[in-house]
Amino acid sequence: MTTTSERTALFADGLRAAQGELAPCRTWDDIWQYAISLSDETPVVAPAAYAHLQQGELPDENEPLRSIADRSVGITVATLAVAETGSVLLLEPAPIDRAVSLLTRRLIVAVAESDIVDELADGFRWLAQQPRAAAYATFVTGPSRTADIERSLTIGVQGPSRLVVAVLA
Amino acid sequence: MSASTAPFKERYRRSVGDPDLKPRLLAFQRSWRESRDAQVRRLEQRTERSFDELRREFAAVKDSTLKRIDDYIAEFRANAEAAGATVIELSTAEEAVNYIAAVCKSRGIDLVVKSKSMVSEEIELNHELEQRGVTAIETDLGEWLLQLAEERPSHLVMPAIHQKRQYVAEILGEELGREFDPDDIPTMVASARDGLRRHYLSAGAGLTGANALVAETGSIMVVTNEGNMRLATSLPDVHFVTAGIEKLIPSWNDAERQLQLLPRSATAQTLSTYTTCITGAQPGKEMHIILLDNGRRAMRNSDVIGDALRCIRCGACANVCPPYQVVGGHTFGHIYTGAIGLVNTTFHHGIADAAGPQGLCVSCGACHTVCPVDIPLPKQILEIRHRSHQAGHAPLWERVALRLWARPRLFHHMMGLAALGSGFARLIGLVRRDHLRAPLPRRLRWRSIPALPMRPGRSLVESRAPEPRLADSPAAGQTVDLFAQCLADRLLPTAVDSTAKLIEAGGASVQLPESQHCCGLPAFDAGDWDNARRMAKHTIEALEDSEREIVTPAPSCVISMQDHWPRLFADDAEWRSRAAAVSRRVHDLADWLEGPGRLPDGCLSNGEAAAWTAHRFCQTSNRGDAWGRIDTLVERLTGEAALPLDEPDVCCGFGGLTSLAAPEVGAGILERKLSCIADTGCETLITNNPGCVIHLRAGADSSGASHQTLHYADFLAARLPKHP
Ligand code: SF4
Repeated sequence: MTTTSERTALFADGLRAAQGELAPCRTWDDIWQYAISLSDETPVVAPAAYAHLQQGELPDENEPLRSIADRSVGITVATLAVAETGSVLLLEPAPIDRAVSLLTRRLIVAVAESDIVDELADGFRWLAQQPRAAAYATFVTGPSRTADIERSLTIGVQGPSRLVVAVLA
Repeated sequence: MSASTAPFKERYRRSVGDPDLKPRLLAFQRSWRESRDAQVRRLEQRTERSFDELRREFAAVKDSTLKRIDDYIAEFRANAEAAGATVIELSTAEEAVNYIAAVCKSRGIDLVVKSKSMVSEEIELNHELEQRGVTAIETDLGEWLLQLAEERPSHLVMPAIHQKRQYVAEILGEELGREFDPDDIPTMVASARDGLRRHYLSAGAGLTGANALVAETGSIMVVTNEGNMRLATSLPDVHFVTAGIEKLIPSWNDAERQLQLLPRSATAQTLSTYTTCITGAQPGKEMHIILLDNGRRAMRNSDVIGDALRCIRCGACANVCPPYQVVGGHTFGHIYTGAIGLVNTTFHHGIADAAGPQGLCVSCGACHTVCPVDIPLPKQILEIRHRSHQAGHAPLWERVALRLWARPRLFHHMMGLAALGSGFARLIGLVRRDHLRAPLPRRLRWRSIPALPMRPGRSLVESRAPEPRLADSPAAGQTVDLFAQCLADRLLPTAVDSTAKLIEAGGASVQLPESQHCCGLPAFDAGDWDNARRMAKHTIEALEDSEREIVTPAPSCVISMQDHWPRLFADDAEWRSRAAAVSRRVHDLADWLEGPGRLPDGCLSNGEAAAWTAHRFCQTSNRGDAWGRIDTLVERLTGEAALPLDEPDVCCGFGGLTSLAAPEVGAGILERKLSCIADTGCETLITNNPGCVIHLRAGADSSGASHQTLHYADFLAARLPKHP
């Protein structure tokens, strides 16, 4: 049996291997302070994260994607994280749920430490058991990348160029 | 006509004329190999299962799904439709294009943004939609670069791997109306991002492929790194999915198994950046899932080719392919590239489009070793070659040569004449270091032409006294039949003689069955199975009169007898069993020297420490035969350690007829091998297949390399005790 702290450490390794970062945050308050320290712009916040934060800017209901394209900091929340791969699982059924993780430059993802599972297989098992969870679900592993020009790895091609995960106590 | 859509000969000419392609693909193959191997090792450790076990398990999932494909399609359809998607099964490329165009038309859509989909390439969707008034824009960076350059992908996963950054700077500059510094890749990428963004915002539909279709929930799973797929499915109101029916898998559990293998094999990542699962249409939007057949059921119904439907499009088979490294995917493939392209093109695009590149495959078997779904690609490529030969696509010179080769007496006379000619050339000073010094056309200068020795191997064996017994091997006292191999007998006679000496040193005696000639491999390899059968029958008749074990210095003939003969006689029970009775008795010399003819450790140590290294015949290595490890055998017998050689199992470029049909491919692969050999600093290179000895020797001669090249039998026999 892996302990919670071992699992968190493994997750951090996987995340870093995929060029992701770990945020120095253990609470939602930490996340907010961290987010506003990154930029002068108001962070944009996915609806699921807004439920915890009660501050920041929500994407526009009618034009969720256009309204926040290329904003500098976004905050969202993951349903679970996978230690094996350093991935976070985002459930984002509607475009308004997805806007922040799609189009902000720096994305902060909050996940509860108790929601870190060992393996990708656990993540899929969870997904298979929850009705409608797979409506639009994404395992995100690090920031967006391409190696299409002469195999040179370039981070942040179409989605966020930085992916920061905050593991909440 | 762009470089990628021209006729095969033109594509070949262009790719061998591109000086940058080879080194770039070589660097890619090497770095992929290293990181992929590390990933696979970690996976094996974590799961406590071998790669072979893992791939066989997932292959079994694919097989059982394919067997009941209609049931799984029905389940998928019911679930996807319950979630609001439309699922449509279509048989041909044209139907698929028409369907998409019709939906666009009825919704007033004139712009579609696409994320990467090989099926859309397969049906040449962009071009066809354009004809019907709909513009499709690729949003995967590599695919977009191809679209701007009007090219096809040259790799399944890295579609624009053939493009140089200078070229990318040029086409991007043209599209975006500004200048780019080719060395500043981040700026090019950032500008491409901005250039693509406006298309998402104005598109009426997004189109994606699917890496898997999950029947239990009617979901699609798509794996990407850029995030463009998520954009293309979030902004527009209509989502098209184009996928082949073979993408069905039963459950999410199977999806996870696929993910253990796919990103590790494709890009050597543990997991790609985005693994997206979508079930049904999003509120207020439409989802159309097009399940395409386009030859897939016909493939499934073919015994030999059916397994190719397991393919998860990882591209690994191209990443280890030596000829791919030399010519790239525009030449090695059609729309699907790499080994799998040599196979499935026949079914999706027809034998004429599949025929051209067939002759580039060197049959080394590397593709199968890394395929994460265990597809027997080498066997399938030989099948397609056969079909292509039957359809009349083989070159005339090849057909004539094989017809002559298939006639033992004629072959014998011609070789005799060639030996006389070589003897004459020697007399007038045209032969130095065993190669002709006559001027050659430029295309062929990378390999000298060996002069034929006067006496064939069989006559060397028969004209000397038996080698004294050095040790009692388990086979001491037996008589064994020696199969010399047609090529070795004439071009490498000493290897035949040395083989006999090594057998005799173990206390056995050697017989040379009369009238032996060729096992049929050259013809089989070329797809000419009629002549191959003729040669195989001749060999079977020559060898079947005894119960004795058969030993040969040629591992290629062992593989031919064990693997190819059963296929040649699949429909002929009598010859099948006669063939089996012979092939059961056959041993490669190395196998013999470790088995029945085993000589004791260190018995061939002569106190000298030669600087030698070993190239291991790729086919035996890739088949996983332990006896292909000649370095271990030679170390054991001589007590001398081999110098470590990089890529010891990668093909040397001999490839049977390939090096004649596509000399630049043979030359390119040889160059890679010779540079690894040079890095060892060896004085002697040993290898086990006679064809490879001849090829490597001629290549070393022509490039001025200083090492000598020997069949390991010659290397070992030289260490037998001297006797008067
Ligand atoms: S044939 Fe095998 S190695 Fe080649 S692309 Fe398909 S799955 Fe990958």
